[in-house]
Amino acid sequence: MNMRDRDLWMVILSGLALGTLGVMLSVWGNPANSGICVSCFIENSAGALGLHNNPRMQYLRPELIGFLLGALASAAIGREFRSHGGSAPLLRLIAGIFLIIGCAVFIGCPIKLLLRLTAGDLTAVAGVLGLVCGVWIGIKAAVNGVELGSQRAEKTGSGLLMPFLFLLMLAFLIMRPDFINFSSQGSGAEAAPWVAALAIGFLLGGLAQRSQFCITGSIRDLIMVGLRSYMPWGLGTFLASALIVSAATGRLHLGLYGQPGAHLEHLWSFLGMLLVGWLSILLGGCPFRQLVKAGEGNTDAGLVVVGMFIGGGIAQSWGIAATAAGVSMYGKAAVLAGLAFVLVVSLLFRKRGTL
Amino acid sequence: MKIDKFDKLLGLLLASVLIALVLVLWQGSDRQAGTAKAVADRVMERELTYQARVALLQKLYGPVDELRRKGELQTALLKLDEVSRQYPGEAHGHVLQAEILHEMGVLEEALASYVAGIRLNGEYIDRKSPLSRREAISRLVTEGERDIVSRAKANPANRTLATALTNINYLKSRLAGGCE
Repeated sequence: MNMRDRDLWMVILSGLALGTLGVMLSVWGNPANSGICVSCFIENSAGALGLHNNPRMQYLRPELIGFLLGALASAAIGREFRSHGGSAPLLRLIAGIFLIIGCAVFIGCPIKLLLRLTAGDLTAVAGVLGLVCGVWIGIKAAVNGVELGSQRAEKTGSGLLMPFLFLLMLAFLIMRPDFINFSSQGSGAEAAPWVAALAIGFLLGGLAQRSQFCITGSIRDLIMVGLRSYMPWGLGTFLASALIVSAATGRLHLGLYGQPGAHLEHLWSFLGMLLVGWLSILLGGCPFRQLVKAGEGNTDAGLVVVGMFIGGGIAQSWGIAATAAGVSMYGKAAVLAGLAFVLVVSLLFRKRGTL
Repeated sequence: MKIDKFDKLLGLLLASVLIALVLVLWQGSDRQAGTAKAVADRVMERELTYQARVALLQKLYGPVDELRRKGELQTALLKLDEVSRQYPGEAHGHVLQAEILHEMGVLEEALASYVAGIRLNGEYIDRKSPLSRREAISRLVTEGERDIVSRAKANPANRTLATALTNINYLKSRLAGGCE
């Protein structure tokens, strides 16, 4: 490993920023252990846009807007913005829905999974095992020829559509028109000051675009090439910084019971995250990475993001999202449907005889 | 890139549409007072609905509170049962029941009632809500941990104690916050 390589330090910086600011956003007002949680933020934002009517989960999270616009700015500065897409778009949209369903049943995206773990929440262990298994299965499937097909270059305008939509959401956040919902109670009402949250999102989006860092990508690289890849070093820095900041801010409470935003149905935590890990490998990144890629002009990732918003609405409206009380029957059925979906996709999108 | 007549036509149309959009938004901002009023109306409407709900709860459950104040806890429970039959989905009934049962020292049932109430309406655990019972719930959880945890460990086959333990964990998790 070349210690003088700028890419290595960029990955480490991304992990450090994500771990530190992920905990600090919670200290500054976001819900406990949810300083950064792409799936929770998407559920909140879907509620704000009227896609569900849970009055306790409605807020246009500025971090989400920051992630995508930060990635756009970074891609533009680095001349990496490129409109491209066209690889199984409808399938990606539906996969985006199931990505959020898997997260909602676990209660958190892969970033929050690790934030929960580093805050001492032992219920997250089942999720970690599920995510690693999902990534491993995804790698095995890819090795055996499962892929969604190649992308092609598109007109510049198509890649700018998602940034435009997120700019519109930023305008809604600032102007607060009366058709946008904002919770006055519950976790939707818990938020860091919006300017700080937006700035942090922008910074993290930019860093993630530069470094290509993401949680499932790091696990994938760790499984495939070990520590020769830079990504696992970023993951290690993320874990270490989140653990240190959690301990320093008095947020480290080691235990299995009474953890914030957690349930004790470990099998479903495992399966929910397995679904997320597998889908992330199939789609080329976790929910966070999809936002970053959408900011780089990847219209396929943009469709995954649209799917994630639909998933956020469905997860709340249909009672799929788990709560501290556990996972509903609908939640369990939705995860199984998601696993069936990814299995059918693997069967249909497999290039046979590639080995 | 070569710009032809058709491009110019499209550009002109785009400019016209953008001007029209700006005008519409401008007109809208002229009616800002109207929009602000709509927002204020919505806030007021929400506040009125909330006040009406609180008033209705006081009216409905007033007799129960009265009996509770007099110390007639059994009669209060009977009255509560009567009211709850009319409004079975109302969280307030479960919360009142929990408070009465807690006063009677029936921890397991009090825990179950709080859980039923909070699952219906999370407001009772919020810090800022006027309906908040956060402190009472924290007290009950502390008492429950002191009393029930050791008994549950000593009697692992006892399903009532196991359920009470699950309820304690649920309430602890909700008190700890996080996403819902």
